Amino acid sequence: MLTWANLVSQMFNGLVLGALLALISSGLTIIYGTLGVLNLAHGALFMLGGYAGWLTFDYTGSYIAAVAGGALFVLLVGIVIERGIIRFFYDRPHEDQILVTFGIGIVIVELVRLSFGSLSLSVTPPSLISGITNLGFVIYPTYRLAVVAIVAVALLALYLVLYRTRLGMIVRAGIEDAGMVDALGINVYRVFMVVFGIGAMAAGFAGIVNAPVAPITPDVGTEILVQTFVVVVIGGVGSFPGAILGGLIAGEILSLTSMINPAYSQVMLFAVMTLVLVVSPHGLLGVRGRQ
Amino acid sequence: MSLLEVTGLNSYYGDSHILFDIDLRVEANEVVALIGRNGAGKSTTLKSLMGMVQPRSGEIRLEGENVAGRKAHVIARRGIQLVPEERRVFGSLDVEENIVLARLTASSAWPLERIYEIFPRLAERRSSRGTDLSGGEQQMLAIARALVRDPKIVLLDEPFEGLAPVIVQDLMRVCRRLVEEGQTIVLVEQNIAATLSLADRAYVINNGHVVHEDTTSAIRAQPEILRRYLGV
Amino acid sequence: MARRTIASRAWWPDVVTALGLFVAPYVLPALGFSPDTMSRILIFGLFGIGFDLLFGFTGMLSFGQSAFFGTGGFAAAYLLTQTGMTSVILALVIGTVVAAIVGVGVGLIALRRTGIYFAMITVAIAEVFYFLDMSPLSAFTGGENGLPGVPSPTFYLGFATIHIEAGWSMYAFLAVCFLIGMVLARRIIASPVGLVLVAIRDNQLRAAAVGHHVDRYKLLVFTIAAAYAGMAGGLLGVLQSYMPPDAFAFDTSGQLVMQTVIGGLGTLFGPLVGAAVWLYLRDFLQSTLALGAAWKLALGIVFVLLVCFLRRGIIGGFADLAGYFRSRGSSAAPDGEREPESAGMAPTSAGAAAVGEPVPEPAEPIEHGDPILRTENISKRYGGLLANDSIDFTVREGELRGIIGPNGAGKSTFFKMLTCEVAPSSGRILFHDQDITGFGVTRVAQLGLTKSYQVNQLFNRLTVRDNLAIAAAAERRGPFRMDLLRSVRRVDGLQARVDETLGLVNLAHRADALVSELAYGEKRRLEIGLALATAPSLLLLDEPLAGMSPQERVETIRLLRSIRKGRTMVVIDHDMDAIFNLAERITVLQEGRVLVEGTPQEIRDNTAVQEAYLGGMEEA
Repeated sequence: MLTWANLVSQMFNGLVLGALLALISSGLTIIYGTLGVLNLAHGALFMLGGYAGWLTFDYTGSYIAAVAGGALFVLLVGIVIERGIIRFFYDRPHEDQILVTFGIGIVIVELVRLSFGSLSLSVTPPSLISGITNLGFVIYPTYRLAVVAIVAVALLALYLVLYRTRLGMIVRAGIEDAGMVDALGINVYRVFMVVFGIGAMAAGFAGIVNAPVAPITPDVGTEILVQTFVVVVIGGVGSFPGAILGGLIAGEILSLTSMINPAYSQVMLFAVMTLVLVVSPHGLLGVRGRQ
Repeated sequence: MSLLEVTGLNSYYGDSHILFDIDLRVEANEVVALIGRNGAGKSTTLKSLMGMVQPRSGEIRLEGENVAGRKAHVIARRGIQLVPEERRVFGSLDVEENIVLARLTASSAWPLERIYEIFPRLAERRSSRGTDLSGGEQQMLAIARALVRDPKIVLLDEPFEGLAPVIVQDLMRVCRRLVEEGQTIVLVEQNIAATLSLADRAYVINNGHVVHEDTTSAIRAQPEILRRYLGV
Repeated sequence: MARRTIASRAWWPDVVTALGLFVAPYVLPALGFSPDTMSRILIFGLFGIGFDLLFGFTGMLSFGQSAFFGTGGFAAAYLLTQTGMTSVILALVIGTVVAAIVGVGVGLIALRRTGIYFAMITVAIAEVFYFLDMSPLSAFTGGENGLPGVPSPTFYLGFATIHIEAGWSMYAFLAVCFLIGMVLARRIIASPVGLVLVAIRDNQLRAAAVGHHVDRYKLLVFTIAAAYAGMAGGLLGVLQSYMPPDAFAFDTSGQLVMQTVIGGLGTLFGPLVGAAVWLYLRDFLQSTLALGAAWKLALGIVFVLLVCFLRRGIIGGFADLAGYFRSRGSSAAPDGEREPESAGMAPTSAGAAAVGEPVPEPAEPIEHGDPILRTENISKRYGGLLANDSIDFTVREGELRGIIGPNGAGKSTFFKMLTCEVAPSSGRILFHDQDITGFGVTRVAQLGLTKSYQVNQLFNRLTVRDNLAIAAAAERRGPFRMDLLRSVRRVDGLQARVDETLGLVNLAHRADALVSELAYGEKRRLEIGLALATAPSLLLLDEPLAGMSPQERVETIRLLRSIRKGRTMVVIDHDMDAIFNLAERITVLQEGRVLVEGTPQEIRDNTAVQEAYLGGMEEA
């Protein structure tokens, strides 16, 4: 049914999905931009955020605690992974980095499956942001509106960290020329660790925020990872604004196409990616710096 | 004890041998020039001192302590600072951010005002991004970034390369002022006249070897040395 | 594949493989392998051969092979279950062809980018196939239900009819398929195409620079990998009598990657070994130890550990172990630079005047032939910087020209334009009177213009002989040829060219050494040898003496003199003494223009040149 209200609510769905994709992709893209490592465990970290949040929720019953718990746990996991494994791969070929992060992703997924089983879990948001809201022209689930707001705040926070703090300054300089940052007396390797942690946290945060919208399962990360790749290819690898733009475009494509025929949404997304690759091989806002 | 003493330094790019048993000595408050043809190994020497190229053997003693093999950020914190040939200004950061970033880990950083006093041009352009600067401004920023850390030794690699004569004059003035203030400098520069007028002593490097060492006045008195190692 | 040489097309591995496949049913069941498990291992082994050609040999990591596995599988299954086609073999072949055609299409998109982009794009494409299968094409693929009822093949042999059924006859059928796939793959690897593939993996830039059309070879191997995947997918349907939709799943691609890496990359047998470990662990941990889902966790951990510590997988690990014990037997490998002629050559003190022998002034410039290379007014602009400004430059046949210039004179930009690495912003470049402006390195190399690089660009994991064969093959075979089943040995004139070049650059005694074992001076000579092996009519040498010790310089200068006969060469170097000794004419560049051109003596005496080099010494 193609009605006006339907179109608007689908566009809202696209915005929700797009915002989440933008956040996850930002994490992937700043890790790649700074460290030069494509993190195939990113989907698994998204999923892990959901589970860590659910566990916190189970203990505390608090949604806020769940979001904080999920995000912080994944931050920690990210730091451990970087210190334990990734840092030994900076001088190895891209293919090795891809393989090892792919393997790490599998280990995380299987660990979760072992601990929680394959059943899907869910988290209920506080009553303040649950239920439905009448926006006048359309009636829409309140939590989904809240997701857009929460993710927007998270992206803003990420933006502020990247563009308004010393750490962000170092990260931006490091994306451009890590060797020169090192020569100015800053231990870039420690910065790499923090960046990997923050990038992981972005995925984990999205994972727990998404939990009330879609149930958590151990395999939820795979599909997200693929969509994240498409977002990054569209937006341009290593570009934070590109990740946001790409995320929003991808979200709208997926949900508007599903309105017409859900079966074609992924195909459409892929077609757009191909088009971007043909027209602008470095993505819409890509930088040529890396590679 | 010299401020910097290099003995038997050997450096490679991959497996290509660039520096052969380099010995150098730099005293405090001294300006030392490395001269030689293009490709002789002068830049590699500076990068080795900074730790951006890891020497394969040899010692680099800074105030008696061997820093050879240490990472660049460690050496930077000990007080050596390189102004690289390609300048390597951060294009996505503005002028002030470039300078602030540089002074983050310095033990006794200069106040920004002092930098802006030396380079008024940078003060005017403090909020322009690195990519928007002219070549001369980028060079000023690269030097400012090193100075703001108040380093014991500044390594200047081709500071005048590719710049208009007016800008070179400007930078020369800055260099002279630094020399007067007692800043220790190791200078690599193709402009021989400028180099000899700034430096106290010079090492001539040819095909990765130190082949001559003398005071600049002595070298000026023997133009055949320059002819031999720099001319055709 | 530690020491592959051109001749490695032995037949015995094929026989051993056949024997192994024959013996396996008598041995493996005792270890708990069922015929069904062994059949699956063969299918994934076959699937992986194509992937290993793609990743292990060519260096292209794809996470999208499930797309072709599913395509081939569903094409065959559809023909057999929905159209009334009765020949299973024909359906499998058609499925393979369909997968290959899809491979060409996907390759044309994915190969637009390399490295991590390539990996990401293949992942995305594979997912699209999964979704296509699930619904838009579900009328053909059965959607979530897949296609049940795929028949097994039946062979009419005239005197008897063989029905392939689940169990050992299925194993035998699959073993034959695997054997054929393996024999073909081994032929491909031993063919000139195989040589080019490993060249691309080791150094894509140089593979293109010696004259191979790299993009086409990549598309070719991508298509071959898709065909292997398609055949394996079809066989999966036959084995299970059912074509499952999860053939298209990302997990299938992931499993393939993991199995190949676990078994060992670049071995062709790696995927088979990896699949055996995978399926055995799955059955063993799941049923015997009742660990349930933990089997995949165990495999994930094994995989991460292998990537971290044993990148060459199980087979590579055993090969290293064997190599270790072998090398302990004979410890002293020949050590680098020991050449008879260099023995008496004492290095001159400290780099000064590195060219030991006082060379007689090069003979009066001989009257040279016609212009071989001409630039007309070429300029190169990088943003606001004018790196080269209206350069007119001519080299005549048989000439040895030197190019010098102070820092920032634009020498390297000029050289890059001559070899078409970068296109001039304006002007024309003529080679043998043909306008080559904008041709690209591969095309000009094919025309006979090539260069040796300032920084060695070698094929590091290969032997000296194979390095030279790669370069020679480009000239002997042209930019692209699909001689997949021909032995490298049979390429007309290739061996002779390789042997001749080995002699020229004095590396005959090191022909079977890996590049990684060479001394630096030897690598530099091989670098020049790679250019020579393409039989160029014009050879450009970019700082051939870079990074050399004094005695290596002397040797290399001697080498350059010896190869000079009958060739036209242009040399750039910083070592002024060397250039003045070597070149008959010298062009001096300054600030992006030609300052002057003349004999070494004329250049030495030129005051403008002195001025340029001494950089305003007289100025205040």
